[in-house]
Amino acid sequence: MSGFLSAYSIQNWLESCPQGYLEDTQYGHAPGQTEPALVLDNPTLLADTIRTTVQLVVGERCALAASSGLINAAPDHASKAFLATQTLDEARHVEIFTQRLYDLGVKKSELESTLAEHANPNLVKFAEVLLEKVDKGDFIAGVVGQNIVLEGMAFSVFEMLQAAVSGVNPKFANTLSGTIADERRHVGFGENRIGSLIKQHPERKADVEKMQKEMAYHMLATFSTQFAQSGSAMQEGQRMAQAAEGNGAEAPAKWHGADLATATPEEMEGVLSDTVLKEFKVRLGRIGIEYQTPAAP
Amino acid sequence: MTDPLEDARSPRDRAARQRFVLDDTGFDEVPKKYRRFYRKWGGVNDALARNEVLCPVCKVVIRSTRELRPGDRVYCMPCMSRLVVSVGEGGRLEALVAY
Repeated sequence: MSGFLSAYSIQNWLESCPQGYLEDTQYGHAPGQTEPALVLDNPTLLADTIRTTVQLVVGERCALAASSGLINAAPDHASKAFLATQTLDEARHVEIFTQRLYDLGVKKSELESTLAEHANPNLVKFAEVLLEKVDKGDFIAGVVGQNIVLEGMAFSVFEMLQAAVSGVNPKFANTLSGTIADERRHVGFGENRIGSLIKQHPERKADVEKMQKEMAYHMLATFSTQFAQSGSAMQEGQRMAQAAEGNGAEAPAKWHGADLATATPEEMEGVLSDTVLKEFKVRLGRIGIEYQTPAAP
Repeated sequence: MTDPLEDARSPRDRAARQRFVLDDTGFDEVPKKYRRFYRKWGGVNDALARNEVLCPVCKVVIRSTRELRPGDRVYCMPCMSRLVVSVGEGGRLEALVAY
């Protein structure tokens, strides 16, 4: 049923993750690394960085609830063991992004109010669609929603953020590097487990496709509102990155053809949306699920 | 067997395969003894060698000590996918997921 997991074990996870790419890290980055002064000293950039990080915490809290909730719904022991390691991965992600909020100056006593104030309502709806399936013990829909839709989105968002900050914020770039490595396992589990299960349960396709369409709609709405709020911060960040480049810092990279040094919020929203939706289409197509185009938000 | 090439069933198997010595590229997402068999992908301009194929699931480059050929079965440890090597557009080797 889950032969692809035959080489996977908790021992394998220990050697790959805590004893591998996370060895000697603290909260996902090298000890002593700090957020750069260009973020901490600039009110516009700081507010936008906090707002963006809040979305990461909200998304990871959803992933933690989903992966832990799916353990008891899993039909075989190998999947339960994998989801147990994924649950710890997601709990770690919640912790490292929460720690980043503290590093950015959010007080521990104000964490929940900060999350409530800045959480994107569309991202909350995205999470609610997934968690409704998990709460019902629907393993197939839950894994597609969690390990293909949510993780697929996270994979691209983390890669874009890493490309954007690689030259100016090594601390956050390192943090993202570890989460991207985790996401490889999570999307691999999603595709491989559902790829075999959907062949046995083709009657579930329509329901899963409906959920994917709904989640994709809320995802696009999230991107739209996030980039609309980030216009001035993006311009400020690009201006400061160019100044830093003049002082020898690494130039911002290109990501899927977009020049991160000059791209407008509208351009970046378009590139990110296109990239994630194309990935959805390819991944879902591989496992026999027909991608459903969401309405434009 | 640590090499990701699990099953070489190419019709051209009778011809000798080129051998490759693998160096450690710093890929640290699998246990140490497997690390030289994988590397990070550099994007669309990253040309793959004859012993390499890109995992379509997790976008990591899988490396074998032997030349890869269509029909070969390879294992991607970072995402646990079992793959079959095939010829894609332009004659480049691609990997298809075997569920």
